[in-house]
Amino acid sequence: MIIQVRNLHKSFGSLEVLKEINCTIEEREVACVIGPSGSGKSTFLRCLNLLEEITRGNVIVNGNDLTDPQTDLNHVRTEVGMVFQQFNLFPHRTVMENLTLAPMKVRKESKEQAGEKALQLLEKVGLQEKADVYPDKLSGGQKQRVAIARALAMNPKVMLFDEPTSALDPELVGEVLAVMKDLAKEGMTMVVVTHEMGFAREVADRVIFMDQGKFVEENTPAQLFTNPAHERTRLFLNKIL
Amino acid sequence: MAQGLDIDWTYAIDAIPLLLEGAKLTVVITFFGLIIGFVIGVLTGLARGSDNKLIKGIATGYVEVIRGTPIMVQALYIYFAIPQLLGVDIPSLNASIAAIAINSGAYIAEVVRGSVQSIDRGQVEAGRSLGLSRIQTFYHVVWPQAFKRMIPPLGNQFIISLKDTSLLAVIGVGELTRQGQIAVANNFRAFEIWTAVGVIYLAITLSLTFVLRRMERRLNVR
Repeated sequence: MIIQVRNLHKSFGSLEVLKEINCTIEEREVACVIGPSGSGKSTFLRCLNLLEEITRGNVIVNGNDLTDPQTDLNHVRTEVGMVFQQFNLFPHRTVMENLTLAPMKVRKESKEQAGEKALQLLEKVGLQEKADVYPDKLSGGQKQRVAIARALAMNPKVMLFDEPTSALDPELVGEVLAVMKDLAKEGMTMVVVTHEMGFAREVADRVIFMDQGKFVEENTPAQLFTNPAHERTRLFLNKIL
Repeated sequence: MAQGLDIDWTYAIDAIPLLLEGAKLTVVITFFGLIIGFVIGVLTGLARGSDNKLIKGIATGYVEVIRGTPIMVQALYIYFAIPQLLGVDIPSLNASIAAIAINSGAYIAEVVRGSVQSIDRGQVEAGRSLGLSRIQTFYHVVWPQAFKRMIPPLGNQFIISLKDTSLLAVIGVGELTRQGQIAVANNFRAFEIWTAVGVIYLAITLSLTFVLRRMERRLNVR
């Protein structure tokens, strides 16, 4: 397993947003996390690379316990790619520079080395001709594809997606999901917080339903979507499907 | 009622070498004062956002004291009060530069703090999630974007500080306003001399504005 979560609790002040979460993510697995807004999906995901501090419990990524003060978090994060709802591209840098910054500064790759890999990744997401433009010249879908390529530039072992299509115009969702599907086919380990039930059904190995800070139910998409075990899952699915 | 004198610009023209000497000093004080003030401002501005309570407290105290007292009092303090306490004389030019530096530093600190805080948290998260350290994220991601936002308010502060140097006449440094006073004392031609002084200040501030605007435009194109 690449990610192991043990008895994870997370509170913001007195508000407990994650309650006793246990889960493992296996290599090459695609896990989709669904649930109503405020259920703690994004917070859960952000605990996996410690963008959110963990109140209690352990998150072990690739053998490194994130809560251990000895752990080199910067190093662990190089192995965990993250894609954000709001893209978070660096607006003062070109697409190419967005992709090469971390490989050059963290991995000490040469400009040529990082540039070559960046071009390959841009080709993969279909945007090689945008290498030299600034992010504000891109559509939302293009931005998110660049953000995916930027995360991939560090050769991560696992990719986290935090509602990657929620900020997109409906007609741009498809191009981002297509890139994510390709990635899943290549065997990338992925944890995806999403509202795209079609994607979850088609691509996920496992779907996790969260509500009120807990994992209510997890199962294969076929089982979970057609035959949910819990009433809350059924109610949620009824509302959105 | 006293009859007005005829305006005679030759008095102003005759005073120009004296006034330009003052203008030179005004520029020197502003230039060095602002360079030091910028360094103080950046350090203080970042310290204001620090998690360390002591560092934050010192920085906040400095900003509040300087913003809460007039620059003229600060200049008098540096030039007269501190030497009395320490028993050493501070040359008026050094005291002038120090006054501009310390005063502008407090305002620049607020500009720096505001600009840095205005950068979306997602930018930091993106940098950190890629494995960049806190310092790398600040240097490569936050600062370049924050700096761009700083330029208009910094330009404002530069112009204010330049004009504030006129108050340094009280500690006897021979900057432009002081030279104006001397010229008027010699020939009593207040209208001509103060007009000339005003025009020289305007020429300096407009040049500064021009430079800042070009800088802003260049950074906006990126």
